[in-house]
Amino acid sequence: MFSRRQLLQRCSAGFGSLALASMLADETRAANSPNKTGEFDSPHIPAKAKRVIFLFMKGGPSHMDTFDYKPQLQKDDKKPLPFEKPRVQFAPTGELLASPWKFKQYGESGIRVSELFPHVAECVDDLCIINSLHGTNPAHGGASLKLHTGSDTFVRPSMGAWVNYGLGTENANLPGFITICPTLAHGGTKNWSSAFLPAAYSGTPLGNASLSSEEARVKYIQNARLSRDAQRLQLDFTQTLNRDFQEQTGPDAALDARIKSFELAFRMQTEMPAALDLAAETQATQELYGLNDERTADFGRQCLMARRFAERGVRFVQITHSNTEVQWDQHGNLRKGHEQNAGEVDKPIAGLLRDLKARGLLEDTLVLWGGEFGRTPTCQGKGHDGRDHNPEGFTMWLAGGGVKTGIQYGATDAYGYYATENKVHIHDLHATMLHLLGLDHLRLTYRHAGRDFRLTDVAGHVVHDIIA
Amino acid sequence: MRKIITALVVLPLIGRLALAAEDAKQPGTPATNEEIRFFETKIRPLLANHCNDCHGEDLQESDLRLDSLAGILNGGKAGPAIVPGKPKRSLLLTAVGYQDNDLKMPPDDKLSDRQVQDLTRWIEMGAPHPDSGKVKVARPQNQVDLEAGRKHWAFQPLNKSAVPKLATPTENPIDAFIGERLEQQGLRPLGAADKRTLIRRATFDLIGLPPTPAEIDAFLADDSEDAFARVVDRLLSSPHYGERWGRHWLDVARYADSNGLDENVAHGNAWRYRDYVVNAFNNDKPYDEFVVEQLAGDLLDSGDDWKLRNERLTATGYLVLGPKVLAEVDKAKMKMDIVDEQLDTVGRSLMGLTLGCARCHTHKFDPIGHDDYYALAGIFKSTRTMETFKTVAKWYENSIPTSEELARKEQHQQSIDQKKHTIETLVATAKSELKPPMGETVPQDVEKRFPEETQAKLKKLREELKQLETNAPQVSTAMGVTDGEIADTSIHLRGSHLTLGEVVPRRFPRVLAGDDQPPISSDQSGRLAFAQWLTNDSNPLTARVMVNRIWRWHFGKGLVETVDNFGLQGKPPTHPELLDWLAVRFVESGWSIKAMHRLIMASEAYQRQSGFDAQNTEIDVANNSYWRFDVQRLNAEAIRDALLAVSGTLDPTLGGSLLQLKNHEFVFNHTSQDKSEYLSIRRRSIYVPVIRNHLYDMFQLFDYTDASVLNGDRETSTIAPQALFLMNSELVDQLTTAMAERLLEQEPTETDRITQLFALAYGRPATSEEITRASQFLTRFQALMPEQTDASKTQAWQALCQAIVSSSEFIHVR
Repeated sequence: MFSRRQLLQRCSAGFGSLALASMLADETRAANSPNKTGEFDSPHIPAKAKRVIFLFMKGGPSHMDTFDYKPQLQKDDKKPLPFEKPRVQFAPTGELLASPWKFKQYGESGIRVSELFPHVAECVDDLCIINSLHGTNPAHGGASLKLHTGSDTFVRPSMGAWVNYGLGTENANLPGFITICPTLAHGGTKNWSSAFLPAAYSGTPLGNASLSSEEARVKYIQNARLSRDAQRLQLDFTQTLNRDFQEQTGPDAALDARIKSFELAFRMQTEMPAALDLAAETQATQELYGLNDERTADFGRQCLMARRFAERGVRFVQITHSNTEVQWDQHGNLRKGHEQNAGEVDKPIAGLLRDLKARGLLEDTLVLWGGEFGRTPTCQGKGHDGRDHNPEGFTMWLAGGGVKTGIQYGATDAYGYYATENKVHIHDLHATMLHLLGLDHLRLTYRHAGRDFRLTDVAGHVVHDIIA
Repeated sequence: MRKIITALVVLPLIGRLALAAEDAKQPGTPATNEEIRFFETKIRPLLANHCNDCHGEDLQESDLRLDSLAGILNGGKAGPAIVPGKPKRSLLLTAVGYQDNDLKMPPDDKLSDRQVQDLTRWIEMGAPHPDSGKVKVARPQNQVDLEAGRKHWAFQPLNKSAVPKLATPTENPIDAFIGERLEQQGLRPLGAADKRTLIRRATFDLIGLPPTPAEIDAFLADDSEDAFARVVDRLLSSPHYGERWGRHWLDVARYADSNGLDENVAHGNAWRYRDYVVNAFNNDKPYDEFVVEQLAGDLLDSGDDWKLRNERLTATGYLVLGPKVLAEVDKAKMKMDIVDEQLDTVGRSLMGLTLGCARCHTHKFDPIGHDDYYALAGIFKSTRTMETFKTVAKWYENSIPTSEELARKEQHQQSIDQKKHTIETLVATAKSELKPPMGETVPQDVEKRFPEETQAKLKKLREELKQLETNAPQVSTAMGVTDGEIADTSIHLRGSHLTLGEVVPRRFPRVLAGDDQPPISSDQSGRLAFAQWLTNDSNPLTARVMVNRIWRWHFGKGLVETVDNFGLQGKPPTHPELLDWLAVRFVESGWSIKAMHRLIMASEAYQRQSGFDAQNTEIDVANNSYWRFDVQRLNAEAIRDALLAVSGTLDPTLGGSLLQLKNHEFVFNHTSQDKSEYLSIRRRSIYVPVIRNHLYDMFQLFDYTDASVLNGDRETSTIAPQALFLMNSELVDQLTTAMAERLLEQEPTETDRITQLFALAYGRPATSEEITRASQFLTRFQALMPEQTDASKTQAWQALCQAIVSSSEFIHVR
């Protein structure tokens, strides 16, 4: 009676809807493997990754101070930049600013990492560091939207929504796209919305950046007053009413779906809290993520939640590191700010990588780390201690999910201002991520307002060189 | 061929390539030897070393080859690489100049300034090449075939179709059109809905609230022929009508109380536009006038009528409400992005056309040229939408002083004038009393020679004046536009303001307005002319699009399913003759929306039952032929408003703002602290602030519009989180507790309470079986409570009320 697309469009929106759609699909289709509730029955390309964990560093971490070592910059501290700055800049900047942090070689790969990330540095042989990312927008809002949705001009679906649209969910009782403690500024919900894709694919937020990750919960997941028995009794009564109504109107897919949606909701009330029950983890695991240290506990919990969702089949988990002030946005106070930020995330991220690896999850989980842009090698603000936004060249790293390990790909110029070698645009990153998940970015399209749309718009190249 | 030549003359863009070919020393003007030498020594090696690896024999990135003149002139996906003689219009130079972030070539190594100069020089020379004069340049692919385009059904003139004659004549012409199709398909329409169903359907439909038991009783008691027509009239004259139907329009106007997008700042005065829309619907403002006011209310002559003037200025808020990238660093880009957003909205909301598709190139499907787009863009670029582009940018607001504010302002001006006069008089008097200067060092400043007393007095007076001037009384303002710097706009190649093509005179899309259009005067943006052209009785789209919207909001689906897209990618109408008949009728009735409601709601099609029929279902499962009335789920606002209404807590106050933020204040800054508070609001949903990027979650769950882009056809989804909201949210808990308390207080017995609960929530009495079941539920529920108290009794009733309002019957209309 309905095509699957129609069904999805009519019977779905937001958290849990995919699950519902899959429940309905289960009944209408004979064979249905759990990962086939997306829009495409088989992957375009053999998939190397099944899911994504995106560690978003809100505000724009500085690449020259973390994963993009620039010896020339260290030599030329306080000298003028010897070439032109971009046509469009966020704000004026002054002379070159050498990194205040020392770099050291790690692992077999011998990749240099700054002392800001001593724990992640120990995992460097598992990383695929892209030093030549570039975007288009030098302001937080635009850059964040560009990174999450591929567009800093129009309202477009976010990458998590596209991935779910393409692949569907692996767990009928959990949302397919979860974002933990997301920032509400600079695009806010647009960074996890489904825009014109069926609402089923939009992200489910747990808490927001102003809340501790301990308070990160899905809204309305529990009844404050009723016992389970009392609520079951009430639900049985509601369902009797629902069936009575349906008898009068005759068979109706939406009314039928509605009856099922109440049962699914009832089940979710136990499934979601179980996934979030970090106390179920061993002491050792908790410590691995830094839950025992006040400094790392908040982000550590996010990382641990991400792993628990990943192993339960959630397709796309985003966690956000964003304190309540300026995040990684050190226009001034670079030393203090970046030390604090890195100190909060370093151990938990290393913990996540190690834990995923130990559980065999890293193989098919793509981990992505980065901010909406990098920072300028030139200095800003008082005391020779700040950097401006820089979308012209910056670093993100990937791990797991079929990418090469222990490599650095691409490069910026001698100072780290512009990406120069093997440049990777945000669109290319998206194309590559989809490719690893078995989706061809050219074929993952959705017809809206009279034309087909893609995550990569009219651009994007798969970076084959970083695929193992 | 002649046609093509005319087109070339009239439309510079379309002839761009052909013109380019003329400039390119062809036909018949081969390059001189000296020119060839320049090419061979400077240009060919440059192209070979830096370009041809990717744009040559082996690889043709973006379908572009630079190793032959034909390749260069024909270009690739982005268009011709160069326009000979015109360096500024040559994409190649944009690319090598690294001017456009999205188009920097060669990608890894910028050419030297010297090399760029050579390329520029070569293009200035007309791009001499050994092949000059021998190359055939293909006709541009982006030429619009207007003749073919005009054949599309939606662009045809309105055609007043003859009402079909059926064997059983129908009273309402709508039923003749519908009936004809039903007959053809062998469908037997269901009978008329009962009166309870009908009044519930009509009441939710027109005012978005459930009928009260008293209203139902009155309708049941009215046996007259026109009983239902009177219900419709009563509902249409209710001020709540505008709240329901105005809200429909706000979906189309992508209304919001905050900017959203990158910098989410408050639209502190958007509510004035919202109230304007509500009033317009309540007053049945003719739709043509409604459209003209929103597009060009500032350009209409309102004489001395300040209220009318303010109303019209407020209407233009429609153009300003769109989301904007307010921290865009590239100001020229921001300006064009805003124009694009306006065009996309105007196109889809008023014309049913996806004009936005033609921003970067000629529309791929519809007969809208790239030049058509920029001809319209010129109109909006000549319009002032922004107060300042300085980060964080601010939109424009018109002053809309009330008479009191005007009086206060005038009074204030008088005080200033008075003060100035006093000062002048004092100075003059003091001057005249001055003795002629003595000695040689006369102070330059005359006032320094005034008596000290006078100087002190002057100082005080001037301070008072300054005080007055800085404390001017505030005047109300409304988001809106005014005419700005009037100019035609250039075609933006690939949609980028960094690569400009020909300037296109401001005008309307040729597929509709023809090739022969009177020019828009150089002292007007052209908005008013555009609005008048849109609402001209002979423009086929405006009336068609709007009657289809009205139909959609009554029946839950349009005659044209794609309500915002009447282009070639849209769906054709299921009943084209009916659509046209309605559109003609709409115009003939003076564009009265209320007249359309009366007409549609009087039809049998509207008044049918919503039941099931196996035979009909077999033929027409989707009910595209209207053999029954579709069951419709209430929209988010109606669910919330109905909950408020049946709990007795609805505050019916009309209009005004509930926004807790000052104009331009940030909704969210870096902190992400969520200060929005929706739970305590008891006003109707239309007054709940619409915060983009952070909509009220209850609304979002129930398929509210996204509020960033227009949407004339909201989805209806069914999902588990809706159930969670009904089961666990504080709002439902609070409202059903209020319901329970009200029932316990007002009704004496359990049976009375159950009966009243069904009457309030479902608009019908409970059956005896339902009463028994409800009673059993209460007993069992209370038995699960640890103690049997008054509180546990209230909670059992609350649980019952919650079950009732969570049920399908409450949140659907039949």
